[in-house]
Amino acid sequence: MKGIGTLSAALATGALLAATPVLAAIALKAANVPVVVARSTLTVKPDQAWNKVGRPGRLSESWTLDGTALNELTFYGGIIDGKTLFKEVDKVNRPLPKFSKTMLAPDVVQLFESSYRIALGTPLMTIETVEPATFAGSPGFRFTYSFSATDEVKRKGEARGAIIGDRLYMISYEAPRLHYYDRDLGSFQKIAESASFPVTTKKK
Amino acid sequence: MRIARALAALAAGTLIVQPLIAAKDKAEPIYAGPGYIPTEKDERGLWMQAEDAEREVKKSTFVIRDEALNAYVRSVFCRTVSAEACKDVRIYLTRTADFNAMMYPNGMMIVWSGLMLRTRNEAQLAAVLGHEYTHYRNRHSVLGFKNAKKNFALGAWLGGLVGILGQVVAIGSYFTYSRELEAEADTGSIPLLNTAGYDPHAASLVWEQLRSEMDATALARNKKSRKDKTGGMFATHPPTAERMAALKAQADKAAKPESNFLGRAEYKAALAPFWASFVDDQIKLNDFGATEFLLESLAKEGWSSDLLYARGELYRSRGRVEDLPKAAAFYQQAITEGGAPVEAWRGMGLAKLRAGQAEDGKIALKEYLKLKPDATDRSMVAMLAGG
Repeated sequence: MKGIGTLSAALATGALLAATPVLAAIALKAANVPVVVARSTLTVKPDQAWNKVGRPGRLSESWTLDGTALNELTFYGGIIDGKTLFKEVDKVNRPLPKFSKTMLAPDVVQLFESSYRIALGTPLMTIETVEPATFAGSPGFRFTYSFSATDEVKRKGEARGAIIGDRLYMISYEAPRLHYYDRDLGSFQKIAESASFPVTTKKK
Repeated sequence: MRIARALAALAAGTLIVQPLIAAKDKAEPIYAGPGYIPTEKDERGLWMQAEDAEREVKKSTFVIRDEALNAYVRSVFCRTVSAEACKDVRIYLTRTADFNAMMYPNGMMIVWSGLMLRTRNEAQLAAVLGHEYTHYRNRHSVLGFKNAKKNFALGAWLGGLVGILGQVVAIGSYFTYSRELEAEADTGSIPLLNTAGYDPHAASLVWEQLRSEMDATALARNKKSRKDKTGGMFATHPPTAERMAALKAQADKAAKPESNFLGRAEYKAALAPFWASFVDDQIKLNDFGATEFLLESLAKEGWSSDLLYARGELYRSRGRVEDLPKAAAFYQQAITEGGAPVEAWRGMGLAKLRAGQAEDGKIALKEYLKLKPDATDRSMVAMLAGG
């Protein structure tokens, strides 16, 4: 999820300097090392090193290679019934829609689309494809999308996820359509395919 | 930064941006009539800024480039302000779901798709265009700027900031229309409507609808309506009751019997190719009350299949337990009405499936796949439909 909401809020008050990111939050996620993500037990194994750059919401986290404007992974670690996908950008005037445990896969896709449109302030968002796919060993979904936020950059994205035990687990990837999307898609796909909930084996 | 928002800040006058500064100056008696070129330093600077902004707007992906729709809006504008006066103004229609329009000092006007979704007829669109044009003709941007300059230290107005966004934000920080100038633009629109043969009451109706919509938003969110609130810098400035009443009184006083054209059919026809996508943008804003209000208002002419389908989408997207059977019923009515988009079957199937009516839901989804074999979500829907 792009951090444009925060930036625009800072710009809107004229406080350009306040938009400086908090660098201390960045943490390197090493290649080929399983790592739990988004304050959950969801575990992935990146094929290359990514940087964790923040938390768009309480149960989510973002990774990037070159900066979130160029490539961004977002992990959603078990969003519960009645919660938004990420932090509200303007709760009073533009509240985000909430996840419901009764949602079908197409409803989740629509939740995602609506949340993006509101948070990024753009109607230029299209869901391209939606199909069934296994995620972390459970029946889930995969969808692709494209959007232009108000920075006017045309981006593409792909997300994979599943509702498991009434919670939404999902990983999304997005990048500018030119160059970056294709370049890093493979890395995302490997990460998404590595997603699992490792079972703690009991000692005999 | 949202370009649309940023540009809104630069706009000489927007319809609903909260005014910061009370205008102390009376309007200077120089009007930006046809062919007007500014000569004075501040005004030339403002024009230059607006020209920079216009260059950005011209290439924006948000701009709706459809020739027919642009030609229609332009024809309404030219009819409203005269063929001669309309030459100085370029109108850009942008895909932005909220209600707003704005006029820049150099003659660039921006009209958001959310506004076109909300104005009900040609006369209401003309009222908005006439209002914006009055900001231009009466050079409100330069008046507003001069007031801002008096009230704030604007030494670093341009130089110290980076790029167009910084500049735009700086302008937005200091420079929005005062209520006095808004009232003047309102007043200016009435004779324009009258002369063009439009019913001048259209102007107050635009605001009346917006006020009712704000009430509907608040009611559905269980909040207090913001229609009479005056908030922070970028808070939308609600159309106050006084403003609406003043407009209505002026229209009553000025109305000529021959000025009665509303142009509902013309407006509906021009908007028809875009209506589905504009209303879809609105539904995805997660503003149930406003969207329901809008659909119900349009349905005063009868619930068409398009309106019923949109209502199904609205209820299904909110997705409360009580919404799902209603959504399914609206889709069914849309289908029965005839001419509904094939997605009505998809919506009905999903609503029923989610509500626990698995068998009925699957039948509807299968019908959708039959009618739309190349659906982009085919494999997902097929799986939900039971293969």
